[in-house]
Amino acid sequence: MDENTTGKSFSFFRPRGETMRRETRVIKMILAGWLIAIVGSQIYVYLLEVNYSALLLDEWTFFNLPIHFWLTGQFLPLWFIIICGLFNFWMDRHASNVNSLDGSLRFRVKSAGEEEDSW
Amino acid sequence: MVNSTVQVLPLAIVVGLFAIFIISGLRHHARKQSEYGLSGVYTGRIGIGAAIASNWMSAASFLGLAGMFYLKGYFAMAFVVGWTGGYVLLLVLMASQIRRFGKFSAPDFVGFRYESEGARTLTAFILIIITIIYSVAQFRGIALLVSWLLGIGYVPAVIVGSLLLVMFVVVSGTLGATRNQQLQYFVLITAFILPLMLLTRKLGYFWILPQFGYGAAISDLYLQFGFAWSEPFLNTTLFQWLALCFTLMFGTAGLPHVLSRFYAVPGIRDARWGVVWGLFFIALIYWSAPAYGVLARLFEARNNIPFNAGDGQAADMVVLTAATLGGLPVWVIGLLAAGGMSAAFSASAGLLLSGAASFSYDIYPRLIRRDASENDKIFAAKGFFLIMAAIVTVLTLKPWGVIAEIAAFAFALAGNTIFPAFLLGIWWCRANSTGVISGMLTGVVITFMPFILGDALPMVSRLFPVTSSAFIGAPLVMIVMIVVSRLTAPPSEEMRLFLARDVHDCQ
Repeated sequence: MDENTTGKSFSFFRPRGETMRRETRVIKMILAGWLIAIVGSQIYVYLLEVNYSALLLDEWTFFNLPIHFWLTGQFLPLWFIIICGLFNFWMDRHASNVNSLDGSLRFRVKSAGEEEDSW
Repeated sequence: MVNSTVQVLPLAIVVGLFAIFIISGLRHHARKQSEYGLSGVYTGRIGIGAAIASNWMSAASFLGLAGMFYLKGYFAMAFVVGWTGGYVLLLVLMASQIRRFGKFSAPDFVGFRYESEGARTLTAFILIIITIIYSVAQFRGIALLVSWLLGIGYVPAVIVGSLLLVMFVVVSGTLGATRNQQLQYFVLITAFILPLMLLTRKLGYFWILPQFGYGAAISDLYLQFGFAWSEPFLNTTLFQWLALCFTLMFGTAGLPHVLSRFYAVPGIRDARWGVVWGLFFIALIYWSAPAYGVLARLFEARNNIPFNAGDGQAADMVVLTAATLGGLPVWVIGLLAAGGMSAAFSASAGLLLSGAASFSYDIYPRLIRRDASENDKIFAAKGFFLIMAAIVTVLTLKPWGVIAEIAAFAFALAGNTIFPAFLLGIWWCRANSTGVISGMLTGVVITFMPFILGDALPMVSRLFPVTSSAFIGAPLVMIVMIVVSRLTAPPSEEMRLFLARDVHDCQ
């Protein structure tokens, strides 16, 4: 059976249906923010080290920390918390507007000998 | 840090803390039996977050991370970013979707999604290998703390620490104590941050937020001793940093005991917000850990103690070194040791128990004894727990790195195997059993390749470093999964319908 013969084929890059399309669009934005922050910050730190004296990085402090320590060690984890929070706010609104499935378990595993059942 | 005297007060604090945990666990158990099997009792989203953070905390977080800062300076920031950034992947790509499968372990998930007993069994084997590797890091932490507390050498401390862990699991299990993870997190965070506040206050730095205050120590190290942390990529490359960082992120999103948190929470929204709170609680530790490494260096410099980059044991004990050289009261040092011991004990006990459960549930009745009764499975789980503890003990006698490096190796294996299996299983309906088995086997080969071919082919070690192989490895595994899945029969129509309708709400 080829993938296209079923009406249920999808992937992250080829979402199907409005709900999934909207969800993947937001996920892509969050992942872009995540990736750019990580790689961008390290390229920035690398370029600072290459182009300026080492002394500058030591003297250029932010909240008491050398800029590269603050940017990587303090800001990035904070940024992750922020984007996770934004994602959850969006999901809460999106889930309540579009479907009522968020918040429920579709399936559960029962004890041995019983069939799986949906809630 | 090894001396020949018993640290009486710290030892009493460690024993007292474990007694409190067991008593609290018994009270919880009596008050409310957990409905979710893998969890303790939950009290709202903050409670779920504290439970996630408590479950996450291990010797690697409590002792190993500070040790990496002490040894490698800025390079260790890859651990901070990797171990927090992985939760973003976990939240946006997996947390909600995993819950919708309603499966309660990684082998369960893989077996169900890929409709394959072979894939399920392979996942169980990989999970057990991950458990063993990760437990070596925990046992090393336990051994170093036991060595310090009892004033004995490293090798006897490994044996004593292992016996103590087995006794702890047996006593907790016999008494029926469950983990009060919220209490444990509160104790861990207090044990970690209070000594840091006292140290920075003593040094005259900004002590209210020692996570920022330690910046002054970096300046002092440079001004007084000419020691510079200001060239982040002097001894490493940008590739090495990113490879480690992304490996830890992929591994975080693929570690079985992290994934299991999402099966164990009542609602999807609670699971999602629990991740955010969990990430915040974890970040509190990781914002603080670099300070211990920096302060230990400062105190050593002030005491004319030469820095030895090859002393892994000293590096793994810098949290206690900083507190000791900083002249903190003994009870504070005891609290710190108790926190480290608690983190290492709970992480290794949880891992070994889940590994034993995986053996008794996924391997024993399928490969060894098909007619195994429930009693047989329980017996097999107990026996395999002891076997794994023995294997980990032997490996801990001669570990291949410091705590954080050993843990990173486990993350690399998880990132090369479980992470791609979950990611494509959730987000690509065409991924099939042949693809996932081929992919996971490729992931295992990639993870161990530096050990096997590293000497003969130096390029292998450069592209797939032992602790950082998933940066290139995980995408490679996904390519293998995609190609093999494309060349073989697709999953059943029912599974694709389930994915479309029940997991992704495709209209």
